[in-house]
Amino acid sequence: MSDIRLEGVTKRYGPVAAADDVDLSVAQGEFVTILGPSGSGKTTLLSLIAGLNRPTAGRIFIGGRDVTEATAQERNIGLVFQSYALFPHMTVLENVLFPLGVRKIGGAAARSQALEALKLVRLDGLEGRRPSQLSGGQQQRVALARAIVFKPDILLLDEPLGALDRKLREELQVELKQLQRTLGVTTLLVTHDQEEALSLSDRIMVLNHGKTQQVAAPAEAYLKPANRFVAEFLGIANFVGLDGGRTGLVRPERVRLGPGGVNGGRPARVIEAIYLGQMVRYHLAIEGSEGAPIVAAVPFVGRAWQAGESVAVSWDAADIWPVT
Amino acid sequence: MIGGSPWTRRLLATTGVIGLVFLGVPILVVIPMSFSSAKALTFPPPSFSLRWYQAFFGDPRWMDAMWTSTLVALVASVAALLLGSLAAYGLRRGTFGGRDWAEGNFMAPLIVPTIIVAIALYLGLAKIGLLGSLAGLIVAHTLLNVPLVMMVMGVAIREFDPRIEQVAWSLGASWRYTVWKVMLPNLAPSVFAAWIFAFIGSFDEVIVTSFIAGKYDTVPKKMFNELILEVNPTITAVATLLIGLTVLALAAVTVILARAGKLKQTIV
Repeated sequence: MSDIRLEGVTKRYGPVAAADDVDLSVAQGEFVTILGPSGSGKTTLLSLIAGLNRPTAGRIFIGGRDVTEATAQERNIGLVFQSYALFPHMTVLENVLFPLGVRKIGGAAARSQALEALKLVRLDGLEGRRPSQLSGGQQQRVALARAIVFKPDILLLDEPLGALDRKLREELQVELKQLQRTLGVTTLLVTHDQEEALSLSDRIMVLNHGKTQQVAAPAEAYLKPANRFVAEFLGIANFVGLDGGRTGLVRPERVRLGPGGVNGGRPARVIEAIYLGQMVRYHLAIEGSEGAPIVAAVPFVGRAWQAGESVAVSWDAADIWPVT
Repeated sequence: MIGGSPWTRRLLATTGVIGLVFLGVPILVVIPMSFSSAKALTFPPPSFSLRWYQAFFGDPRWMDAMWTSTLVALVASVAALLLGSLAAYGLRRGTFGGRDWAEGNFMAPLIVPTIIVAIALYLGLAKIGLLGSLAGLIVAHTLLNVPLVMMVMGVAIREFDPRIEQVAWSLGASWRYTVWKVMLPNLAPSVFAAWIFAFIGSFDEVIVTSFIAGKYDTVPKKMFNELILEVNPTITAVATLLIGLTVLALAAVTVILARAGKLKQTIV
């Protein structure tokens, strides 16, 4: 178990900087997610930490040790890819035994260690199967077991749940979080899925064009984004004009709706009402305003407004976050 | 292509059959002729006999040629397999500049007219004193077969997920251990196919061999020389043996690649 520290890490491909002067500290046992759209450089950053790639500039430390020039073999990391990357010719057990064999751990000790890891990912009983005989979710569990069986210093996950369908993804999110807490292993996850980032991580690092946009706890990044990009990337953003020409952010959950003609709200018309189960999402045109429609997410209790109805829209001044 | 009007389909089928007959009949005619009892090449053979097989196996010069061919093909195909696979790996996985040039250079023996390769090898081997030597012959055959190996292995390596290798490294496995324990077991069918192609490529080679082999005779070279001197039915026996060998080898490749394909389908 170790901490991770990036100092001014830069990776240039010709004139393009896939990672541009990135600083990051991940505390021991912490779960941090690197979140960004495709092409933001998040996978590059992960491959630099994994030692599959060398930075153009900057230093990388794992457990206080400078590993910038170390090979992937020397870094003692667990790595999990979206494509599982299991060894197709080996059984589940052989896959999990692989890192132990490399470390010259064999016999009964290795076997019990491997079975222990498989039990942690709830795959006991399947150790004799081949990867081709497993479902996507099971294959990803094997990949996880293989990545943790040798007690790596850090765990790196590259879109680990990206290939799974939504329900399975949500299940595995919970399991992954529990597993990470049980092991207490420092974990860095890369994803473009903001929900995944918000639900799994202790902290989120938002990346765009290779540059850090914000590093913060999920709630803080969501409600107090550092800039417009973070505001729009993490969920739905309503931008409202403030005094002095500034712009403020109001999240849809903080928008209140009341019947039209009531004092204390701005008159608006419902453009669209989308029923989402527990919530109804409204797209609202504020009267006399040319701007983008305001989006409100309101708990569904009994009655929903219909498209075309007049409503009054309001929010608390405390729920406005100024953005640049 | 399978669509189209009935007319085009019929035309296509006829052309295909004529093409097959044109290519196949001369080969098939050789086989009964090799079992002929006649003294000269005649078709159809008057009666069945194995005399030309006896003539072949009883002639030490043919046996010498067979031994030379086999030895050269074995050593050259293994050398080409090693070099071609490493080149294919470097070209598929590497990110260095000039890869296209390097690949073009490796593929050149396949693209440049064989006669030019033969002249180049003649001059080159003469310069380093290997002209007419067994070593020179092996070097030449290796060079000729590297492109074949590169093509087969290049496709296999490209289709093999590089992240599987990266994971193996991250788990602590060295590059060599990864190649040995992870890549080779998965690429074995392609390795075997590439080796067969290289072996046949060497065993069949006649143009370059005629230029540089000096006193050494390989089977195809001797067949060629015999045909110039006189039309001896022994040739048909040798030809039948070579056809048999080639058919068996290609059948083996087909079976192995088909099995690998099935395996791949279950993986995906």
